[in-house]
Amino acid sequence: MADRAEFIKDIRSRLQNHRSRGEYRPTHAPDVPWTPSAERRRESPVSGDLPARFLGELEALGGHGRRVASIEEARDYVLSLARERGAELLVRWDEEELEELGVDAPVREAGTEVSVWRDLPDFREVAGSAEIGLTTADWAVAETGSLVVTSGPGHGRSVTLLPPTHVAVVRVEKMLPTVAEAIALYAKNGGLPANVCFHTGPSRSGDIEQALAIGVHGPGDVHVVLVG
Amino acid sequence: MFIPCYVDLVYPEVGVSVVRVLRRLGVEVTYPEGQTCCGQPAFNSGFFEEARTVARHFLDVFESEECDYVVCPSGSCATMASHYYPLVFEGLAGERARSEALGARVREFSDFLVNVLGVRELGARHAGKAVFHCGCHQRRELGVLEEPRELLRDVEGLDLLEWRNEELCCGFGGTFSVKMPDVSTAMADEKIRALEESGADTLISGDSSCLMHLEGRLQRTGPATRVYHLAQILDTEDGEVV
Amino acid sequence: METGKPARSRDTLDRRHEGIESKVEGFNDRARRALEDEFLHESVARFTKKSVASRQAALERLPEAPELRETAYRIKQETMANLDRYLEQLAGAVEERGGKVFFASDGEEVVNYVGELARRRGSKVVTKSKSMATEEIELNRRLEESYGELGLEIIETDLGEWIAQLAGDHPSHIVAPIVHMNRHQIADVLSGVAGEALPPNVEDLLQFARKRLREKFLAADIGITGVNFGVAETGTICTVTNEGNGRLVSSVPPVHVAVMGIEKVIPKLEDLSVFTRILGRSSTGQDLSVYTNLVTGPRQEGELDGPEEFHLILMDNGRSDLLGTEFEEALYCIRCGACLNVCPVYRQTGGHAYGSTYSGPIGAVITPLLKGNEEAKDLPHASSLCGACTEACPVGIPLHELLLKLRNRQVDEGLAGKGQSVAFKGFENTMKSPALYKISGKVGRMAQKPLVKDGKIGRKLPGPLAGWTGTRDLPALAKKPFRELWREGI
Repeated sequence: MADRAEFIKDIRSRLQNHRSRGEYRPTHAPDVPWTPSAERRRESPVSGDLPARFLGELEALGGHGRRVASIEEARDYVLSLARERGAELLVRWDEEELEELGVDAPVREAGTEVSVWRDLPDFREVAGSAEIGLTTADWAVAETGSLVVTSGPGHGRSVTLLPPTHVAVVRVEKMLPTVAEAIALYAKNGGLPANVCFHTGPSRSGDIEQALAIGVHGPGDVHVVLVG
Repeated sequence: MFIPCYVDLVYPEVGVSVVRVLRRLGVEVTYPEGQTCCGQPAFNSGFFEEARTVARHFLDVFESEECDYVVCPSGSCATMASHYYPLVFEGLAGERARSEALGARVREFSDFLVNVLGVRELGARHAGKAVFHCGCHQRRELGVLEEPRELLRDVEGLDLLEWRNEELCCGFGGTFSVKMPDVSTAMADEKIRALEESGADTLISGDSSCLMHLEGRLQRTGPATRVYHLAQILDTEDGEVV
Repeated sequence: METGKPARSRDTLDRRHEGIESKVEGFNDRARRALEDEFLHESVARFTKKSVASRQAALERLPEAPELRETAYRIKQETMANLDRYLEQLAGAVEERGGKVFFASDGEEVVNYVGELARRRGSKVVTKSKSMATEEIELNRRLEESYGELGLEIIETDLGEWIAQLAGDHPSHIVAPIVHMNRHQIADVLSGVAGEALPPNVEDLLQFARKRLREKFLAADIGITGVNFGVAETGTICTVTNEGNGRLVSSVPPVHVAVMGIEKVIPKLEDLSVFTRILGRSSTGQDLSVYTNLVTGPRQEGELDGPEEFHLILMDNGRSDLLGTEFEEALYCIRCGACLNVCPVYRQTGGHAYGSTYSGPIGAVITPLLKGNEEAKDLPHASSLCGACTEACPVGIPLHELLLKLRNRQVDEGLAGKGQSVAFKGFENTMKSPALYKISGKVGRMAQKPLVKDGKIGRKLPGPLAGWTGTRDLPALAKKPFRELWREGI
């Protein structure tokens, strides 16, 4: 086992050399497509209709998104998705907003069992067999079409990941322009949950002869319903 | 004027064309006869100490010359003197400063014509379908990519074609071409395939070293292609390369 | 344990494997073999073309890209200058969140730590997501060797890495590990695992892989991931994948082990937004990779999933030797693969010719630095110094300049060979003396006479010019050099 104090001491001694030499610069500055220019804007021009931008980006990635006016419409979206997929099991976060959505009863009526992420004897069994995972999201990022999902009681990471279909119902107030702004918010609030993940479209791989393959490990079928 | 060693020894006609073009534009040209080489072969092979001696000689020769610019018909050798001498003299403050001062006056031929003299049209005439290969130093270190094209576009009768992956290196790379001959040749072959696809009958570059490599390969396997340095095309008389 | 071997294509695959096993010498031999492989050639050309175009398009959508590059460079510079402090801060923050931190000087210590952890936990199944650091130390092979009695089943879960692992092959690109394999070879490999012939089409192969690997994700006792960035301020590690395997491996098993090169630390959480903005764009042209996963310690009170134990291994393995040296910038690399994609040498040879975990320009730089100059002697020369790598690097590493400095270091260490040393001494003496230079020209013109025909040397010469004249004509020296024409008057 490497001794931590020794390890750090060793690095410190190597850095003496560095510090005595002052700032080091490469011989020539990075060039052509990277050359800084004064006229360039400093921030990404993400403004205007954020929900529209988000939905456009998500569609371009192969995801599905819709903006709805009411909670009822969102409920209908989830319900018809469960029907269309012929799902036997839907697993959802234990989360007040999803209680308000009130999908459990109609989805069960339509023949899909609903499992809520609390007091599960074996989470792998549930999340691993569900066809649909239903969650909310901390944020939706317009620039990239990303959802920001976080861990916590009732917020299973597996729900966003193991079922082949992931649907998130997100209030439109949760839109942010850029990834940087989302990160800045976590930085400002001075604490991160054990897990924060930016989901940007469906799972994909190009490993076999560069053919785009969707849904290799994570969900290939991704839906976001923006409410409001 | 700096005429790189291999232009002096192998392609003197390129140097002659440079002189003729410059004189035609009213430039007073001097050729310091003490000049030899910029030192790049040693530098690129890692022999920095040997390169330093040669670079020092270069500084001595050109500093003593009363001239505003040192013009060089090779993007690569111009880069050595303008961009890499500071690295060659790293840790030697005096010589580093000298090299930076001189380096600021070193200009590649087309850069000098377009950006210093403001020349656009030279009245050159040459019939052919040509592609232009921009040497990598000229492209990336010097950023002199458009200047030679602008000059060539104004050559009467010359059809300047686009070619696939024109940004790819020709595979010369100095001693690389001898140390890694198979890869180097494969790189040349890719350029030659692109040249064939473009339908060009003429290959032009601002670096005779790239041309030496591509022409050497063309002579073994490629289609019949005329190979010229940019200066030769700009120096045509009655449409003919002199 | 699965030991599915390809049924028909063993020959090709084993031949490649052999190339990797040999020392990091013989670039030319391996390159020659690669040049004969038509599929490889075509596949690499197709992949790199697509990557270069997507990267270009993604950067055009990012107007502040140049500033980001400058900022990224400065963040890395600042981090390296105070690496001791940032590593302590990172370790402290991880521990505060209930994670365990282990400092490993080399690969051996990583292997032992993971092995002992597996022993303590009674683990059997280990899933891994893509990690260059563990590739570098051959973690899988060494765990199986040193901890054979535990009967560990170690499974790579990145699709390409998994297939390479099953084939007994090695990744040939940082981002596209099996760009060298075609779908028939892949079908053969997976058929060996399936116990039945799988058709060579992407969708079937993918479905099989998804199903088989899903079982492993759920059964795993330990998940091992690499780390793209470790945030000192918050004790957060960021791992980026497109398939979702990284997120699965760090979410489902009860133990998560993250193996991180010490150079991957960044000071602040906000710095992460700089790097996430350039990584995906430089790598695959994506504005953001599909899963950008931030893990801060083990699962918290009340959570049902996520790891019960979180271990961060901070690995040196030669990296600290570069601190404060002229090669320090090699540590700024974020493993995006952009330099491979634009490299005209990589384009011809693919990754295996480099004989190292790291291929392409960054591989040619970092392999001799981590493994020793002597062992990787060829690599600094496997470049025409065209500078496309330096231009493409999103953190501004002057790659081709580092290659030059490595060549210089070989000369200083006496590794350049006597012939070359004598030749460049001669070059130096000739070029510093105009008189000697003139005489050499004359001697050359006389000496070439018997060889020249039609103004050129058209056949293979023995000696130092064999490399050139084997495939290319060499122009003869002109009858009169320019300096004589000048004297005569132009």
